[in-house]
Amino acid sequence: MNKPAITLSKKICMLGTFSVGKTSLVRRFVHGLFDDRYLSTIGVQIYEKQLPSIPGRRAENLKLICWDLANIEKLTPAIKNYFRGASAAIVVFDLTRPATFDVKDIHLDAFKQVNPLAGLVFAGNKIDLLPDVSSPPSELADLAGSHSAPLLFTSAKSGAGVAEMFAALGQLLLR
Amino acid sequence: MPGRYLKQILKAHRTAYAVFDESLQSLDYDFRNSVFFSEKELGRNFSLWECFPLLAGYEDVVREILQGKLRQYLLEKINHCDDAGKLTYHTILLTAVQDKDYGATRLFCLVSDVTRETALEQSLRQKDYEVRVLRADLLSNGQFLHDSLLGESQPVAKVREFVKKVSQYQATVLLQGESGTGKSLVAKLIHRASPLSSAPFVEINCAAIPDTLMESELFGYEKGAFTNALSSKKGLIEEADKGSLFLDEIGELPLSLQAKLLTFLETQRFRRLGSTIERKANVRLLVASNKELAAAVEQKEFRQDLFFRLNVVTAVLPPLRELGEDILLLAGHFVELLAIDLKKQVTGLTPSLAQKLLSYDWPGNVRELRNALERAVIFCEGKLLDIDDLSLSSIRPVAESGLGNVQIPEDGLAFDDVERAFLEEALNKAGGNQTRAARYLDLSLDTFRYRLKKFKVRPGHPPNKK
Repeated sequence: MNKPAITLSKKICMLGTFSVGKTSLVRRFVHGLFDDRYLSTIGVQIYEKQLPSIPGRRAENLKLICWDLANIEKLTPAIKNYFRGASAAIVVFDLTRPATFDVKDIHLDAFKQVNPLAGLVFAGNKIDLLPDVSSPPSELADLAGSHSAPLLFTSAKSGAGVAEMFAALGQLLLR
Repeated sequence: MPGRYLKQILKAHRTAYAVFDESLQSLDYDFRNSVFFSEKELGRNFSLWECFPLLAGYEDVVREILQGKLRQYLLEKINHCDDAGKLTYHTILLTAVQDKDYGATRLFCLVSDVTRETALEQSLRQKDYEVRVLRADLLSNGQFLHDSLLGESQPVAKVREFVKKVSQYQATVLLQGESGTGKSLVAKLIHRASPLSSAPFVEINCAAIPDTLMESELFGYEKGAFTNALSSKKGLIEEADKGSLFLDEIGELPLSLQAKLLTFLETQRFRRLGSTIERKANVRLLVASNKELAAAVEQKEFRQDLFFRLNVVTAVLPPLRELGEDILLLAGHFVELLAIDLKKQVTGLTPSLAQKLLSYDWPGNVRELRNALERAVIFCEGKLLDIDDLSLSSIRPVAESGLGNVQIPEDGLAFDDVERAFLEEALNKAGGNQTRAARYLDLSLDTFRYRLKKFKVRPGHPPNKK
């Protein structure tokens, strides 16, 4: 007799500076929606999404609890409380704004300090606005390499690469 | 369990609560004071994790609280969006209390609605971010003061200095210069750098509006003022009240309206069409013309009194050919923007194209440069724009424009006719602008006018090129 599938709930954090598309990526993934209007997040928005089952895995059902954090300007105890218990983070960058590639601004070190074992996935978002998708900014690839994180390119607007990115995250969480 | 008074206090503070035993099963709860749980379908008994799925990952925290190692844990500004899209903000507090009756530890979860306090903060932050995003957009589009006036050359530095100085005063500014030299951009920058920057900037091109509509556009009209005036309408002067009004191509303003504009400038008062009521508007006027207004006055095409009133602070914007290496700076900037807009891989120019751009005389100035580059970026297949990508038919290097192979017919020619033909051709090429026409022939404006008079060429009516 087959054992019932286990559902694992894993918390992940969306990190990135303002207006890189963190909320848009989660909304695209969870609700399949995209809204051009920019509404800044304050505090944290939490989304739940069951990932498609991964054949051959012990835990076939993986539920993501996505913590979509507001742009962090100052690292406060409240922010560290948000970080706690995360199994992974998606670090989002705006490919059209190289200024967003600075991870100091998003307190990635503090996140890793709170969650030393957490996995990271880097997302270069807004790829629909890039003239040439085949030559992404090299500094971003170097940055992802230095954190041993996979780098995926996404467009919350068109949906390109979004499912792939969350699938890569799922693999990372079940590793 | 919370007593009656405590429940009243929680209600007053819009706080819902749930109590859990050490195995994290519910003992008591009241969710009526919060919309946070409004859509939750929980049975009579439920676990902490069913009630708060968002706490996945906080198992250690909960254990530490129950063991007394952690006094409390606060999660602030948790967003909650209901099915109708209404956003509320909540604070979740986890803490432990000793239940003396049972000698056991209970986990208290308090959920407070902080929407009122947080919505204001969100609204302020939204505005702040919108400003930052817009500013970043402006910078990347090269529209902001310093970055807009790209260039290191002396003429550009002078224009920058001019903008900086005049923006601090209310004086009328007259901008002159060839077509495509950026008069409209400079006007916008003067407004933006001025204390009026948050007030309206209203722009109208006098050459683009038919004479018959111009008056109603500028001064507005009352219902019934003319056929189809079904309702009253503010004019641009009223729209620009307390801000700046930019009249481009002011030289094309009909003479009849020039008098009315002058009256407004003198008194700051005007009447809408069909109205007897005098209105007041406080407007800073910026005007531009690619025509030589002084010459237009001489030709009786522009009122002298209005010219004197407008000619308070004047700048002549430099043509592109006088900007030297700045042409390449501008070209690089346009290529960068166009590559993004057109989704191309182009990153710059080849040295031979750069040389070509420097040797061309750019009669259409920056506008012509941008358009030529747009065409080139569209057709470019590589990473660098080359001469072949440019529409070369229109490119005529200055160095190659001499008349090295002039031939005189066997039966000779009248030199006066040749000179007249050159004057007419120059005027035609300059669209009637005498300053530009004189420059085409390397003559001073005075000499050019003298020759026009001598050969009885009417500058206001250049013959069409045959």
